[in-house]
Amino acid sequence: MGIKTFIIAEVEQGAISKETYELVSFAGTLSERRPVIIVLGRDIEAQAKEVAGKTGCDTIAVSGEHLELYNTQAYSEAIMDVIRPDSPCCVCIGHTSMGYDLAPFIAVKQNAACITAVESVHGGLFSRAICSGRFTEDIIPETESVVVTILPGAFPQCNSEPKGSGSLITVKATLPKRKSRTFAVTESLYRDHALKDAEVIVSAGRGVGKKENISLIKTLASVFPKSAVGASRSVCDLGWLEYNHQIGTTGQSVSPRLYIACGISGAIQHVSGMKDSQNIMAINTDPNAAIFRVAHWCIVEDLTTFIPIFIEELKKSIP
Amino acid sequence: MKILVCVKQVPDSCETLHIHEPTGWIANLPSAVFRMNRFDEFAVEESLLIKERLPGTVAHALSVGPKRVNSTIRRALEMGADHGIHILYPDAGYISPYTVATLITTYARTKDYDLILAGIMAEDDMACQTGQLIAALMDLPYTTSVISSEIDDEAGEIVVGREIEGGRRLMVRFELPAVLTIQSGINTPRYPSLSNVMRARSQQHEVIRAEDLGIPQVRETCAGLRLPDSASMGTFIEGSPREKARKMIQVLHEKAFLP
Ligand SMILES: Cc1cc2nc3c(=O)[nH]c(=O)nc-3n(C[C@H](O)[C@H](O)[C@H](O)COP(=O)(O)OP(=O)(O)OC[C@H]3O[C@@H](n4cnc5c(N)ncnc54)[C@H](O)[C@@H]3O)c2cc1C
Ligand SMILES: Nc1ncnc2c1ncn2[C@@H]1O[C@H](COP(=O)(O)O)[C@@H](O)[C@H]1O
Repeated sequence: MGIKTFIIAEVEQGAISKETYELVSFAGTLSERRPVIIVLGRDIEAQAKEVAGKTGCDTIAVSGEHLELYNTQAYSEAIMDVIRPDSPCCVCIGHTSMGYDLAPFIAVKQNAACITAVESVHGGLFSRAICSGRFTEDIIPETESVVVTILPGAFPQCNSEPKGSGSLITVKATLPKRKSRTFAVTESLYRDHALKDAEVIVSAGRGVGKKENISLIKTLASVFPKSAVGASRSVCDLGWLEYNHQIGTTGQSVSPRLYIACGISGAIQHVSGMKDSQNIMAINTDPNAAIFRVAHWCIVEDLTTFIPIFIEELKKSIP
Repeated sequence: MKILVCVKQVPDSCETLHIHEPTGWIANLPSAVFRMNRFDEFAVEESLLIKERLPGTVAHALSVGPKRVNSTIRRALEMGADHGIHILYPDAGYISPYTVATLITTYARTKDYDLILAGIMAEDDMACQTGQLIAALMDLPYTTSVISSEIDDEAGEIVVGREIEGGRRLMVRFELPAVLTIQSGINTPRYPSLSNVMRARSQQHEVIRAEDLGIPQVRETCAGLRLPDSASMGTFIEGSPREKARKMIQVLHEKAFLP
């Protein structure tokens, strides 16, 4: 690929996110040519300098007061102003709330293919998970310009010592044409220390079938000292458990010594919040469920009949 | 207010899907059951809540797909949408979000919708892009992952909460017309009322053939589907349910999780 590759960096709590460094690795698999990194924010030069130094990539710092909090309109127009002169080009963004928000817009403006949540790439094929991770599809872009979002964690962070720092260009973003303002950011309404402190988390998915069956999950959790009950987002949406039990990208991230997933399919948005658990067990009726790809022990059973049997056997085993 | 809600039909369970070897594409077992994408149920509900708040509002439900998707359009009408639109597109394996978005845009462009709602993500292709593509193609402002919305009818503006990582929220104010992609949990989708079920049963959908709208040139193709790498699978505990339970207890003892 002879065209230029741009990486849209993300800033998290004042620092360049680790996903940004993963994007640099990803870009390295596409082309020999070093990517150009774009960093946006209110006053972003320090972070831009840091990423240029650590990666050796030329970096463009786009600053503006209206870029303090992420805003679709403000960010997309600022990015287009930078990349437009270099079209056709390839644009890489993390598959984060910012990335999936921006990517389709940039793709339309560039007449580019838009490929989201990419997990790997080989021979021009971009692979991504579909159907809650049950299948992988291989996508081939048919356009000159391509916009991709990369699943966080799919590529390692780049860590080779660069020969020298990349150049730094600073630009002031112009105000967007349309009125759109992000005026506040609020913390999550749901936090649960029980989940953070637990050594064992037993989690319920939609596979529990009905609200009454949550008691099975609670019974299973009660077997372990220092345990807590977790949930997939679907279970909270259904009102079977409160949102402070939700585990995943938009819930809490946990890494207990043991995580038991009951009736959870293993969609990436759930898995990203629990995959760092030291030991993972999963109970699911579907032998091909994606959760079995992160689990260390897999039990293909109907949880509504299996958990009672497990409890019975456990009682028998205690003298 | 005139609202368009995009609803996608998806298989009820992934277990009825398999890879059809000759074509390398997903095939549905005869036992497959289809339903509305769950995120779209929240989008339909949101349009109905706006309808209740702002008298005179109409909600249209649109789906792109083969004949069978008319049951999903009917479901939206049963929930309370006023009008159903079916863009008939043959069941031909991979359909690009760009194709769907272009068809919807071509239809909607001349219809003066104040608000276009979509789900944040389709459960089958997990692309998270169709709503944003529609907005970009129509040159409308948009917000994804909407978890709260409040319309300021007089100002012609909308204030939305946008859910991001860790459950944090960005509050955004922007002008209508606009496109929103709806995140689950924004509301509680209702069950159809008997009167709406009766109405939906006899109500005709507006059916338009995709060819008549113009199918765009593809921007990406799918080389095929496969099962993910099986090397990553964990250890399957085998035996009867009782044997599995005993083995599980043994593992838990060995790892000192059980006293
Ligand atoms: C931007 C975004 C953010 C998201 N954030 C999160 C998040 O933070 N956390 C989260 O969890 N999700 C999140 N989601 C939703 C996620 O994509 C999935 O929709 C969700 O995780 C699915 O929940 P589930 O596994 O419980 O349900 P399903 O996917 O419906 O899976 C149910 C599983 O139960 C199995 N099953 C059925 N019956 C039984 C039985 N009797 N015994 C055993 N197994 C059975 C089935 O085989 C299936 O695998 C997010 C989605 C988006 C788009
Ligand atoms: N074939 C379709 N017909 C109607 N709406 C669709 C279709 N495909 C996607 N959408 C809408 O776009 C949203 C996001 O889908 P996707 O971009 O495929 O993840 C869905 O939740 C629907 O609201």
